Order: sequence, then structure tokens, then C-alpha cells
Amino acid sequence: MTDKPKILYVSHNHPTIRPGGAEAYAYELYRAVRDGGEFEPLFLARTGPPVSISSRYHEGTLLTGVNEDPNQYFFYTDTLEYDWLNGTPRGKTALIKYLREFLQAQRPDVVHLQHTLFFGYDMLREMRNTLGDEVPILYTLHEFLPICHRNGQLVRTTTEKPCREESPRRCHECFPEVSPQEFFMRKRFIQSHMSLVDRFIAPSSFLRDRYVDWGLPADKVFTEEYGRLPVTPAETRDRRKRNRLVFIGQLSYFKGVNVLLEAMKRLQDDEVDVHLSVYGANLELQPDEFRSEFAELLEATKETVDFEGEFNHDDLPTIMADADWVVVPSVWWENSPLVIQEAGQHRRPVIASDIGGMAEKVHDGVSGLHFRAADPASLAETISKAIGTRKLWDELQARIEPPYEMDEHVRSLTRHYKELLASRSEEELVTPPAPATEIESVRYA
Amino acid sequence: MPEAELERMPATTDTALEPLATLLAADVVAVHLDPEDGAPALEISILDRPAAEEMRSQCVDLRTFLRERLTPLASDERLEAMALLDEVAAAEPAPEDQVGLSASRALVREALRDPLPPSLLDRDEPQGMHFDSVLALAEDAFYVRGWARDGQAPLQRLTVVSPEGSRVELLPGIYREPRPDVHSFFEEPTRTGAEGTGFLGYCETRSPSLLSTGWILEMENALGVAREFPGPQVTRDLLGARTSILNDLHKESGWETPLMDHVVPAVSRIQQRLEERAAIEEVWEFGEPAANPEASIVVPLYGRIDFLEHQLAQFVHDPELRESDLIYVLDSPELATALKASAGQLFELYGVPFRVVVLAQNGGYSVANNRGASLARGRRLLLLNSDVLPAVPGWLGRMSAFYEDQDSIGALGPKLLFEDDTLQHAGIKFQRPPGGGAWENEHYFKGLHRDLPAANMTRRVPAVSGACLMIDRELFEDLDGLRGMYVQGDYEDTDLCLRLRERGRETWYLPEVELYHLEGQSYALETRTAMSRYNVWLHTRLWDSEIEAAMAETA
Repeated sequence: MTDKPKILYVSHNHPTIRPGGAEAYAYELYRAVRDGGEFEPLFLARTGPPVSISSRYHEGTLLTGVNEDPNQYFFYTDTLEYDWLNGTPRGKTALIKYLREFLQAQRPDVVHLQHTLFFGYDMLREMRNTLGDEVPILYTLHEFLPICHRNGQLVRTTTEKPCREESPRRCHECFPEVSPQEFFMRKRFIQSHMSLVDRFIAPSSFLRDRYVDWGLPADKVFTEEYGRLPVTPAETRDRRKRNRLVFIGQLSYFKGVNVLLEAMKRLQDDEVDVHLSVYGANLELQPDEFRSEFAELLEATKETVDFEGEFNHDDLPTIMADADWVVVPSVWWENSPLVIQEAGQHRRPVIASDIGGMAEKVHDGVSGLHFRAADPASLAETISKAIGTRKLWDELQARIEPPYEMDEHVRSLTRHYKELLASRSEEELVTPPAPATEIESVRYA
Repeated sequence: MPEAELERMPATTDTALEPLATLLAADVVAVHLDPEDGAPALEISILDRPAAEEMRSQCVDLRTFLRERLTPLASDERLEAMALLDEVAAAEPAPEDQVGLSASRALVREALRDPLPPSLLDRDEPQGMHFDSVLALAEDAFYVRGWARDGQAPLQRLTVVSPEGSRVELLPGIYREPRPDVHSFFEEPTRTGAEGTGFLGYCETRSPSLLSTGWILEMENALGVAREFPGPQVTRDLLGARTSILNDLHKESGWETPLMDHVVPAVSRIQQRLEERAAIEEVWEFGEPAANPEASIVVPLYGRIDFLEHQLAQFVHDPELRESDLIYVLDSPELATALKASAGQLFELYGVPFRVVVLAQNGGYSVANNRGASLARGRRLLLLNSDVLPAVPGWLGRMSAFYEDQDSIGALGPKLLFEDDTLQHAGIKFQRPPGGGAWENEHYFKGLHRDLPAANMTRRVPAVSGACLMIDRELFEDLDGLRGMYVQGDYEDTDLCLRLRERGRETWYLPEVELYHLEGQSYALETRTAMSRYNVWLHTRLWDSEIEAAMAETA
């Protein structure tokens, strides 16, 4: 035990169970704070179905240990009775008994949530109940789950186009079986709990703006990019042509891999000398329609595309060394895609969709190139332009900014923690403003 | 029969009865035929409990007795004997074995009655009839339907006879309707209006009738030709009966129809019984109740118990709500187990104290509110729907303060919003549809934006919505709460405002307080339409002139 103040990090998953961007970052943050921060970190990672097949291990508790680290715990929650619309467990025992006991035993001085998924948004209420108002609560917003019932994708079910405005009416259009009234109640419910957070951390300005539009108070949401642990940049091979592309990401509709394959088909038809490697997992979890389209496109582009399947993160330098360009063709907004940061660390220019977090993190014509999102023709054209002139690649690469270092990130977050500890602000409510109209008093009689 | 004596016979003195002169039927009815001066005197008694063994041994069985001793009586004497029995059964407190009494009475009826010639369904028969249905509304209240056609002479008498022998004359009050199906069978033009061949309506028997079979319909024309027809099995499902009766209103197009003279008492009896069944079964208390609550908030929960969680997640931000007396009334008793588990956990999470009142049966909107109000501790009542969420904290105090300041206020309603910030409620006015008809409730400015200047004037209005309505508790009690005669959550609120108006109390609309009313999630739409026709007609039937006056004030 140390006499440093304790900070509790909560994640919806642990990278030792299944890799994933947000949980990998959360865990790296935990380790960075442990190794060099001014706080003693605790890491509470949710486990249970559908992410983990393991059931709860011990009778009478939801906790299990993680790799003999006294500061890490798994917290088991069931999802059979989880209300996916409102993001809350129907039974509250996990919160009002087990989470409460954990908080009482650990008494963190600061809580920094990375997620409330599988716990329930009302875990915030329980934290306030048990820890009181003195303990600051921070919440890093990794995606748009509180705003969008479609797994936070902000892509409309009606058109598969990115959604630009959320409202009970529009959400009901995407989910006809859920009434506008229920969507309104969902929003009020989630906001009721999120109002207990002292500061939100948004890894991109785009994401911050969406949450402020949605109703979070602007002065509570801070933009703060993910910090990256330092890596040795991949070797930059001296090649005559810069025509090797790589896609790294989930093989899903939203990540736009099929848009990229469509573009490759066009380039192949035009006999453009180009090559693409596709790395990614979770194809088996995708809908049949997507999978058969993906398979057809792979077959049609077999001369120029290699499908490499799942990859080990340790192989990233090798993968990057083989590539000139990293393509991020997502058809949803994204937040701050890790793959863009990784491309930056390995000094590879990025060809990205011109929307959301991608447009924000990749500067068109400066450190990378944009194309019209979801448009294979635009992507094919952009790739042609990219590989056409060797000089362009050199120029873009030279202007890639060094990634945001984890150490600096930890220092910045520490400032947040200390500020909040120093002055505990009054909690404010997330509620619509009162009507501006003047109220007159008139008798009709 | 020269004389009949009524006597309530104490079971302890049973032995005083003469052998063979006494009849015990199902141990409940005792008929004592006492030959005196050669003429029989009839005594009918209802016993409190099974007869003593000694008395039993002295008795013969009912059928034998009836056959041997009562058959010699003249026809009119037998009718009189039946009427006498009916009178006794009506006057006496109900015995323990009510069904036994009914069974005995049915036997007596069959022994004493002169059956009429049966009605045959034949084109060549001038008389034809059918007894379609008997809906039991209470032990002595029924809703009957059928038809009777006489091609020979005008109908003089149309009588239903209960299995127990209670006779109810339907003419002239019964509602008559055309039966084109009948007349097409008899190949003649359809009779309409008061001549209608079909009949339906409400009737009461003198004494309780419990048996499901044995009803009879009798008809007799001006020439004395009489026929009878056996009745159908009695329907006892109250909710089914209510739906069936309300559907009869489709036969008519206006609220002034005489059919309402039958539907209103029938439905009222059903509502009354449903109300009796919806007694408070349990009260659960969560948390320390506020010491001196200014207001009691009564929230009926029907079907959607998840609304509790949504409301608590908003109320938790409002210190005033912790100081109030929050009462949830579970009007879906089948959800009691689920609610009990969840309510305790939700209290643990939110810490807002509340009570849950569980009703034994579903009682409907008004009953649920009244039951909740009966336990209220606050000076004022705030009736609140479970699908109402406050826009911002502080709403309850602002309503209370306004109520306090108005001398002759009765009811107070705030601005209610839809989820898209348009107006769900800015007070209620009454409006007749084009061409006249029943007054309908109209929410002012429904669907317009919350900032509409006209909707932001604090003012008197004819009525306000019960979705969020404040009223002084004593005043509410003086009025006996909401009236349960309306069916399922419609028009009780305006009825309350009109009753307040009758007492010189005003109804006010307070737009500075805003709540969201996410209406229409609890009930299926079809169910509402079927019932709203009845409610709107009943409402106008009760309030036509008062509404007229209220609306004249707004002009």
C-alpha cells in the first residue's frame, strides 16, 4: 500500500479476455498511472457473457482476481436481465450490494469510468450513494452508445447513412418497435445518471460536439486525445512506388472494408498497379449478407488483395513496414480511431473517410488524404492520386505529427483529477432549459 | 290460498315443526304447510344454517312434498306462493349457503309454475321469440337480450323469470331495436322504433339469482295468447359483459339515446363491483416517510411498472420530492411479485421514500387514485400518471405555492409536453363535434410548441388533465374522489373539475410548471376507442348544462 490517492478505473472489459480499442487503452492508462503517476490506480473490469464464457467463479461475490495483481479485479455481471434500451440491469443487486461493498472496501479518492456498459448507467448513482459528492467522477466517452441505441454507431437503419441528428422521432424511425416516448425516456434516464459525472473526457472534438449537442453541459466535456505508449517506428523501406495499402480493423460493415474492396476492384479493372493487405477479425460475427458480399469482393480482387485474417498486435511493426498507406474507410463517424494513431506512430500516411473523427485526426493534403465516405469511386480516385506521385507520399509523411504520448496524457489527466479534488463543484443537472416565454397572468372570465 | 304467513324460523326451534307438514330443501328453505280449519296456511322460512339432525329425520324430500302437497293449490295461489317466496328471499339477510337456497327455490319454482306453451320457430306460428343472452352484473342485476315477435296482436307482456322464480316485467321500459334478421325470416317488413322486435337492457330481480341455467322468457299478447322460451346460460365474466354491453352503443349515434338508460346502470353496477374487488391488499413502505408532507403524490401503476424506475431517476434530483408523500398504486396485481423485488432495490438506489399500495384486483384509473388518496398524509393531493416526467426540479413546490395563493381554487394543472416539446396539455375545454352531439374534451393548443404565447398564460380553464392534477385533499375526500362510473381512465378528471365548479371551485392552468406526458404507452388503442364512446356520452348526460355554462364563460 502507498499513501498516494486512489483512482478507480472502470472498464467494460479487460484486454486479457478479449482485445478491443477502448479496453486496451484503459488498461494501458492503468499501467502508465501505476508506473509513474501520482495516484495509486485500481482497475475494475467487467466480465461475463457475451464477452467471456466464464461464469462467476465464487459463491457470494461477483469479484475475481486478475493475474495476481492486487489492484485489478474482474466484476461479473449477467446480461440475461439487462435492459439494452436504457442501459441498465433490471435487477440492481450487482450495484446496490456488490459494487457498493467493493467501493466501501476500496474507498477510491477519484473514479474515472471508461464505460458503464454491462454495469448500467445507474452505477453512477450507486457511486454517488456510496462515495458521496466529495469523490470526483470522470467519464471517458469512447463512442456514442448513450446517444444511439444502434450500438452507438450513429448510422441510420433506414439508409445506412451516418446520422447527423438524434431525436426521439428519428430514433423511432430507426427502431419502429420502440416508441418515440420510450426513446425520450431512455435519454432522460441516461442523462439523469450522467449528470452525476464531474468531467467528461472526449478523445475527439467531433465526439465532444455530438455530446454537447445531445445535452451534456459544454463546460463539463473536455477534449483530450488518447495517449500512446511509445513504440519504435516501423522501418520505412525505400521503394520506387508507394503502392502498398493496408486495412487494419474489424471486418464489419461500419468499418467500410467492402467500400475499400469495391475501390480495389475498380483499380484492378483499370489495371492500376496497387496492392492491399486486409487484417481483421470477427468476420464470423457479421451478418450473412455482409459476409457473402465480402467473400465475393475478395474473389473478384484476388489479383491485388491479400486477406490475412486475424493478426497479433505484436506484428504491427512488420505489417506497417510492408505498407505505404493505411486506409481507414469507415462509413460511420468514428471517434478517434486507434489505427490512425498507430499509423502516425509508424509514420504511415492515412487515406481516410472525410467524416467525423477520421476527418478530424487526418488532415487532408497535410498528413494524409480524404475521400468521400462510403464512395468507392472517390476512394479509387484518391488511391490513384496517392500512388501516382512518389513525392506526395514523402511530403505527407514528413508532416505527420508525433503521436500524443501516454506520459503527457497521464500528466494532463492528473491535472484534471487534482483540479477536481481541489474544488468540488456543485453537481448540476442535465435538463432542458426553462421556457424563455414570459408568463402572464390572465383570467378568462 | 287464504293466508300466508312469513316467519323467520330460528334453527334452534326447528323441532316445533310437524312431521310431513314441513319441508326442508337443501337444508336451507323450509316450507311449512299448516292445515288449519281445513285450509292450508303456508309458511316459508330460510334457515341460517343446516338443519338439526332430528329435524332432518322428520322431513320428506322436496320433490315429493311439492308434488303431494302443493299441486292441489290453484294456479293463482301457486303464483302467489312464488311471489311470497321471492319476497322472503329478498327481505331476509343472505344465508350462508346461498347457492343451496337458490337450488331449493328453483325446485319450488318448477313445482309451482304452470308452464306456458313453448314458442316454436316456425313461419306459420304467429308468435316467435328468442332469449339471446343473460349477463349477470350483480346478484340481482342483469342485462338481457332477445327478441319477441307477434303477428297476431300487440305484445302485452314480456317477462323474464329467474331460475329462483323472480319475475321481471320488461315492458315498457326495455330498449327496443329493429331485428331485420327476424323479419326476413317471417318475410315481412322490419319493425323499427318502439315497435322494434329486438329487446335489450338492464333489469333487476327482486331477490338474488345465482343459478346459471333455468332462465325463462315469457310473452303474452293482447288476446291472452302466451308463450315461453328457455333462456341461455348466464354469462358471469364482468369484463366480458362490460365490453359486450359497451358494444351495444354502436347501435346508436347520439348520447341522448334511451339505450343509455340501460347501459349506464348496467356498466355502473359492473364498475361498482370491480371497485369492491379492488380493495387494498397490501401497503409496502420504502424509506422513512416525510414527517409533515405538504403534498401526497398518487401514481397508479398499470401494466408498465418500469415507469417507476424512470420517475425515480428524475425525482431523485428534486429535494422537494424527498419531502413529499409519494404513493404508487399497483393496479396490475399480477405484477406484485415483480414490483416488490424491484421497488426495494430502486429505493436502495435512489433513496426517494415511497409507498406501494397493492390492489387485490385491477380496479381502473379512478379506483387506483382513490385508494392511493385514502392513505395520503399530505395537505394536498397531486394525481400523477406514471408516464409523466418533470422537465426540471421544483415543479411540485411551484404548484403548491400557486394553489395556496388562489382562494377559490379547486383543481390545478400544469403545462404538459410531448417528447418533442410540443403541447400535450395546456388546459381542457369542451367542444361539440360539427352538427352537435356529445361534448368532447379538447386539450388547448395540442401539438403546438411549448413556447406559444397563448399557452403561456396562467388562467382559469374549464378543466385540467388528471395526468397531473393538484387538489386539496379534504376537498377531494368531500367529493368522494374520482367517480368510478367512467370506464378506464377517461373523463374522470373533467368530471372532477365540473363537480368542483358546481361547488364554486375554480380550475386553473399553470404554464410556468412543465412536465412531459409520454401518453399512450399503457393502453392498447382499440380498447380505448371502444370505451371512449361510452365515457363521452355519460359525461355529457351528466354535465350538459354545466359544460354549456363553463364554455359560455370562456367565450
